[in-house]
Amino acid sequence: MIAFEEERRVTSTSLENAELVLPTSRDEAVHAFGDGSGVAVLGGGTILMPELSYGRLRPKRVLLLQDAGLSGVARNGGSLTIGAMTTVAELEQGPEPLGTAARNVADHEIRAQATLGGNLCAPAGGATPRGDLQAALIALGAQVKTAGKDGERTEPIEDFLAAPDRRLVLEVEIEEPQRAGYAAAHRPHAHAYTIVAVCAAETSAGLRVGLTGAGPSGVRAHSVEDALAAGASTQEAAQKALDDAQLQDDALASAWYRQRLLPVLVRRALDDLEGGT
Amino acid sequence: MRLTVNGEPRDLHSPPLTSLLTALREELEITSPKAGCHQGGCGACTVLVDGEARRSCLLPLAAVDGAAITTLEGLGTSDNLSSVQAAFDEHYAAQCGFCTSGFIMAATALIDRTPKASREDILTALSGHVCRCTGYIKIVSAVEAAAKGDVHPERVEPSFEPEEAEVLIPGSPA
Amino acid sequence: MKAVGARLPRYDGVAHVTGQTQYVDDIRIRGTLWTKALRSPHHNAAITRLDTSKAEALPGVHAVVTHKDVPHNVYGHLEALGIPADEPLLAVDEVRYKGQPIAAVAAVDEDTAREAVSLIEIEYEERPAFFDIRKAMDPDSPQIHQWGPVYPHFGSYNHRRVRKGDIDAAFEQADTIVEGVYRPQAIEHCPIEPQTALVVPEANGRLTIYSCTQAMYFSMGVVAAHLQWPLNKLKFVGGTVGGGFGGKVDTASETISALLALKAKRPVKWRWTREEEFLASSTRAPWHMELADAVTSDGWILGRRMTTLHDAGAYARFSPYGVTKHAFHHTGAYTIPNVHFDGFVVFTNRVPTTAMRGFGVTSVSFAVETHMNRIAEVLGIDPLQLRLKNANRIGDTTPNRVVLKDPSTVPVVLAAADRVGYDLPDEYKSMTNERRSGDLLPPHLVDQLGGSDASTNGGGR
Repeated sequence: MIAFEEERRVTSTSLENAELVLPTSRDEAVHAFGDGSGVAVLGGGTILMPELSYGRLRPKRVLLLQDAGLSGVARNGGSLTIGAMTTVAELEQGPEPLGTAARNVADHEIRAQATLGGNLCAPAGGATPRGDLQAALIALGAQVKTAGKDGERTEPIEDFLAAPDRRLVLEVEIEEPQRAGYAAAHRPHAHAYTIVAVCAAETSAGLRVGLTGAGPSGVRAHSVEDALAAGASTQEAAQKALDDAQLQDDALASAWYRQRLLPVLVRRALDDLEGGT
Repeated sequence: MRLTVNGEPRDLHSPPLTSLLTALREELEITSPKAGCHQGGCGACTVLVDGEARRSCLLPLAAVDGAAITTLEGLGTSDNLSSVQAAFDEHYAAQCGFCTSGFIMAATALIDRTPKASREDILTALSGHVCRCTGYIKIVSAVEAAAKGDVHPERVEPSFEPEEAEVLIPGSPA
Repeated sequence: MKAVGARLPRYDGVAHVTGQTQYVDDIRIRGTLWTKALRSPHHNAAITRLDTSKAEALPGVHAVVTHKDVPHNVYGHLEALGIPADEPLLAVDEVRYKGQPIAAVAAVDEDTAREAVSLIEIEYEERPAFFDIRKAMDPDSPQIHQWGPVYPHFGSYNHRRVRKGDIDAAFEQADTIVEGVYRPQAIEHCPIEPQTALVVPEANGRLTIYSCTQAMYFSMGVVAAHLQWPLNKLKFVGGTVGGGFGGKVDTASETISALLALKAKRPVKWRWTREEEFLASSTRAPWHMELADAVTSDGWILGRRMTTLHDAGAYARFSPYGVTKHAFHHTGAYTIPNVHFDGFVVFTNRVPTTAMRGFGVTSVSFAVETHMNRIAEVLGIDPLQLRLKNANRIGDTTPNRVVLKDPSTVPVVLAAADRVGYDLPDEYKSMTNERRSGDLLPPHLVDQLGGSDASTNGGGR
């Protein structure tokens, strides 16, 4: 750095103070994460690095996962197991609607760096919702395997998103859907997080609908699913999405705008599903 | 940490969580990558990491230990511009110049990977880069020219022989 | 005229494409200290306590400045033109916009400077904030500025006014009145290079100031005025700007960096983060424009009443100048013989607004051109024919009575129509910008031409 060598600096707020942990296996990563207290997890870095560079976050320990063996996609019959460190770029060719959702994340430089685990753990950032892949994973009935307090557990993604405790995502399992649909409203440039995205997929567990931009994290549109099961038209069912959403004003759009957008996009996603993919 | 930067091995002493951008600029004094936002939003800091375009502001040094980094300084020189550099100069694709380094690095990575890149490929590859001056048209034209090899690296010498200008507005002094 | 039409290489093209262009943040001076500022978290608040002693005591901190360190703590680019200054460089006992600077720290690195800022003890008493310029004159709106709700120094008026012709007669003669309200919003310039300054105290007592300013001599004057120094003690180095678009006309970072450099007796660099750039750098202003035009069924615009509210943000800066330009252009590229224009510079608790590409004029062009289409729609007339009929011609006068010598509205509209294949009747295609006569000189424009003859003889301006 440019500062004169002999000058005193405030090391408690310096990045030098953070302990860096570089696990080289999954078990090492789980052990190093422990119960998650005081640990910042650095997957791809696209969310954490600005926090560090702006000085908003000065963690005691940083877990750098790149060598922990958590990336890659394994196929097992009709299901896929996707490691938490798999990049968004690698998911671009994944099963729909995950592939389309992945292709809509930021730009290709960011996609090559950002990870599935980061997208699942993304807190609502600054003034925008994050976690554009969550709707797709909800639609695909993803099961999330995590480690943390009380050891490892596997749970439906909705439960994972709703759980308050900090956990280390290890992998996600999804089923290849029979049909899938996707509709989104986003700004016509890269980078802006999606204003609202709707994903629909039919798997052996039935038809599921997931939303992003309709709450602090991904939301499952149970009301839409129930209405369809009860024989409602897509038009009627789409309107029900408002019952599941917690719409907010943010830097991308107002709650008012999202309220008008959401039923339209749900209908389009359902139409897309009917169109067959 | 040890990196190969523009072909030279360099030892770095910045903390391992320092961004690659900060390490390049402040420790190595390689200043072509620009800190436009430090949050991955503008693309001005893009460099090549093992040949791939990456935002240097989003990479901690620890994540690139041992990698080969190429910055704009590592492409052509003033009298021997790379084809992308020459095309940017020839097509007036740089105005204030602040975003130029990131654009050239992203375009270089694209053409290395996809030598016959289409206009669509170019738009996709550059979509994360922000330019506030040019309106992008000249930048895209420059990259298209570079992708086609339609580049004339010899500098256009100042010529004061006006070309016959097209008269757009009848009766105007032009 | 050798260069016009010739294809010339950019003088800085090779430097740009090889990364050799040096912007302010690329300049390295040994021993440079780094700056962070304490900025207001509130839109409007009284400052009831400010204590920087803990920040000053932090190891690695070399200087902390507050309003007490500023020899002349008012900021006003236009003081020399007789327009008084209303803005402190560093806030004294109140803050009027979120992001307003209150104190700044120079330290050995940015982490230390940030830590020092967090140690500054400050207490606020929040006040209601005001943002809706339409409510500026309401008696129950919060009073936020010492001058009242609007900038009061347009001669003897509290607004920029333009009067020409007989507006009441025009509205009496009109077949139709066409009204419209236009509200373009604020725009952040968003240069890719954030605001940056580097100030180096020299052994000879001068300061060398590396600046990203778009307006070197404005900035030099502003820094000299704050420091109460003669200009010859300041050496400004600039000219390489990583995008400005008007946003780097205000002097934003140089003076505070200079104060820190003088106090620390060390070079000081201050580079804003992107967040600061969005929070605290000036923007293009939001405007509120109300138009009412007196028009005839056959497409003549006899008169225009217009009221403009310009959102200056918390302080005046260049806003009065922007509104004056706006006033002069409020008929656009068209001739309207009777006008009645009032333009107010309204104070709010948003970040102060400033120049951006066509300062004051883009807003009115948007309103005027949209309004022309609205008139065409109301009258059932082709929008280009309406424009050509009312277009400025040689000898026409602008709202502020400038006689036009070579207006280009007619050839530009015709060329644009031709380019997009827009068909016009022959009598329109053959129009020129020559002086009005025949069908193009209806009675309501005769007086204006007479007046213009008078003004070319020295009257009427």
